[in-house]
Amino acid sequence: MPSKKQETLANRIRRLRFDNGEMTQQDLAERIGVTRQTIIALEAGKYVPSLLLAFRLASAFRVRVEDVFQYDAGSPG
Amino acid sequence: MSRLQMFAWFNLAVIALTLLVVFSLLPFLGSRAMGGLGCLGFIGFGPLFFRKKPGRVVTDERDHLIQWRSWIFAYSLFWVIFVLIAVVLSAVIYGEDGAVPVSVVRISVFCAFMLVYALASIAILVQYAGASKNAE
Repeated sequence: MPSKKQETLANRIRRLRFDNGEMTQQDLAERIGVTRQTIIALEAGKYVPSLLLAFRLASAFRVRVEDVFQYDAGSPG
Repeated sequence: MSRLQMFAWFNLAVIALTLLVVFSLLPFLGSRAMGGLGCLGFIGFGPLFFRKKPGRVVTDERDHLIQWRSWIFAYSLFWVIFVLIAVVLSAVIYGEDGAVPVSVVRISVFCAFMLVYALASIAILVQYAGASKNAE
């Protein structure tokens, strides 16, 4: 049986926003078709987006999905 | 505040108003005060919060997920309470061979409606709580 792992999904949305002309949360939200609250939740790591939204985010920053999200499988607990 | 949060607060306000009307009329009208339950009809205006506006995102996938989870939570808890009341409390109150009065059945439908909407609304608000800490 596989042991339990603490998986995490970190993201660089905040960093990427500032690297893209200090884009506001509202600007990014409008660009990818979500509400500002969702951007806030994403940046805080409180929401894991759908694959489609992850690609839309990457597309908005003109980077790859892996540049926005970093998956950590965690260590066996 | 998102549209879903507004919707949840609106539902809770309507339920509070309904209870206020019913309980304030009860001493004067007796069982006829139950007519105040008609105030629950205002909940029908809730979907107006989700009217689409050009160029503006009203709800997204996260809102839908929160809404979906809230309804599942509300109906699950309602079902537990309903079974508990139907199986245990009805026998305790009316006896094993007793009959549940029609008025009680009628009122319980409204109570169930209020319970489901209140639980769903609270679940919505709880899931949004704290999300705005990182707002700019």
